[in-house]
Amino acid sequence: MQDSKPTIILLLLLCSLFGACKRDIFEKRIYDNVIYEVNPVTLYLNNAQKTKQKTSLQYISILYTNLYNQTIPSQKLNELSEVFLSIGDKGIANSLTLNRFLSQSDVQIPSNQQMRDDIPMFVSNTYLKFYLRNPTPYESYQLNKMISDDPDITPEMIYAAFALSNEYNFY
Amino acid sequence: MPTKRNSRRRFIRNAGLATAGAFIAPYILPSGRLFAQSGTRLVNHVVFVLFAGGIRQQESVEQGYLADQNIPYTGNLMENMLNGAPPPSSSLLYNRWQPILNQPLVAQGTLFREMRYTSGPTGHYNGHTAAITGNYTNNGVDLNINPDFPTLFEYYRKHNSPEKSAINAWWLSEGLGPYPALNFSRHGMYGPQYGANYFRPASTFGYVGLNHLADGVDFQPDDVEKIRVIKNYLDANFNLTASDLPGIINNTADRDQIEAFIKQTLQQSQLNNIPFPMPPGTGSGEINGDLYNIAYAWQVLNQLTPELVVINTFNSDTCHSNFTGYCQNLHKADYGVGWLWNKIQSHPILANDTIMICMPDHGRNAEPNNIYDNNGLRAYDHTSDENSRRVFSLIVGPPNKVKQNQVLGSISNPVGETIDIVPTIAHILGFNEAIPSGLLPGSPLLEAFV
Repeated sequence: MQDSKPTIILLLLLCSLFGACKRDIFEKRIYDNVIYEVNPVTLYLNNAQKTKQKTSLQYISILYTNLYNQTIPSQKLNELSEVFLSIGDKGIANSLTLNRFLSQSDVQIPSNQQMRDDIPMFVSNTYLKFYLRNPTPYESYQLNKMISDDPDITPEMIYAAFALSNEYNFY
Repeated sequence: MPTKRNSRRRFIRNAGLATAGAFIAPYILPSGRLFAQSGTRLVNHVVFVLFAGGIRQQESVEQGYLADQNIPYTGNLMENMLNGAPPPSSSLLYNRWQPILNQPLVAQGTLFREMRYTSGPTGHYNGHTAAITGNYTNNGVDLNINPDFPTLFEYYRKHNSPEKSAINAWWLSEGLGPYPALNFSRHGMYGPQYGANYFRPASTFGYVGLNHLADGVDFQPDDVEKIRVIKNYLDANFNLTASDLPGIINNTADRDQIEAFIKQTLQQSQLNNIPFPMPPGTGSGEINGDLYNIAYAWQVLNQLTPELVVINTFNSDTCHSNFTGYCQNLHKADYGVGWLWNKIQSHPILANDTIMICMPDHGRNAEPNNIYDNNGLRAYDHTSDENSRRVFSLIVGPPNKVKQNQVLGSISNPVGETIDIVPTIAHILGFNEAIPSGLLPGSPLLEAFV
């Protein structure tokens, strides 16, 4: 019995030694950072950072992406480019194109119910979608109020106003 | 006694006045005023048809038909515009349409039978630019830039009193290419704020327009107002404006009217309700780009009654490779012009208050190139030879304003140049005297008017 004592002690020492080298591996998932195969976009801190005006082609393709959540097909872009060339007043071309985009069944616009269920969230998301920035507290308050005060305002109208606004024409 | 300081002030003041005078003097009007009020108008509407694509005198006013092909058939391809019998029916290589007018337009106006395109290459962009700006240019066709000199539209809008909004001035082209750039210039005293509205109807109302503009959301007027209020609110929080959009910008009221016009015209196009300049019973396969452009020019005239409209035809340019097609398209363009004049005379506002001017952008060469068409006829280019500098012009209008049945000019004695059309239209609409001197080298074709 006395002869086995050092052996046991040695085994215990070895176990504790190797045990100390073992490393626990944890898989940590942070759901806020999940990437959905969409190119990352840098948000503007404020609208003063936008100084360059979009070209007609940039305007069309970005508007399409904003409204359909996908890149505009090249043939469609070419045809729309021809339409834009054929109209002298590009503001009219913008407006008519926007109205056409908004009329399509696959356009991605929240329903009126969704908008009114959470107006602050809708306002915030709309600023992010069209202006790539968060609204200031004042902007958020004002637009919230406009929507709340007027039950006839629809998400389509809000989207149309953003798409036709001066800020949307700049980057 | 003036002090040293006063002398220096006086010197600076005088020097400033002299410098300002040096800049302003070239633009002082013959009447001694810097900006004159618009003068007396002959009529309130002008339609200028750039009967373009390069038209030879031989097949137009000279009615040579196949003579230059060494085939002894002659005759009038343009029975709605010119006097003269058509070619013998046995010789016809084109589908002849019965004239739409009871008497040709020449009987209702003055024909400048022989005019000159004096300077610059006889290219289409050059020819169009000379006709629309009243200045010859050497700029090539590929530049696709706005012209250096002010356009007719800019003179019209700036020098009418009060100034005219863009809904009154229209430029409609058969094709795209460099032509959308002709509705305003890069001139520092003018520019897009005085430009014309522009359509290329074959795109705006054709396949791509119907595909991408028709059937949009039709916001009701109340909704449009709400959108505008929200937009204005958004714009108030951003200190830049999208005023640098390339092209002209209409005022709000005109923009609404033009948008409504486009929507309505697209709907009518979908329903095949747009009348085209063709004889009754003619199949739609006969429509070419020229007739398409004329048909939609009529929609603009009919619904918006602008004061100044410039359109072009272009299909006769097929003459580079197809002489038969050239004859056919020349014949169709002539029919289109007659049809348009008929429509104008049936309109309650435009009738008897419109003068129409037709002129090719330039001519074509005397000698053919090496291409033969399917009928063995030789083709013609336009490479600035003397023949390609020969054109005609036809000015028609009310008999108390335009001299009727008058023919001026001959090959040995040309009368007028293509750059004279801008001052001529300025004369008709009463603002020629208001245009600063030094900008227009041409003169009004006063011989045409009573």
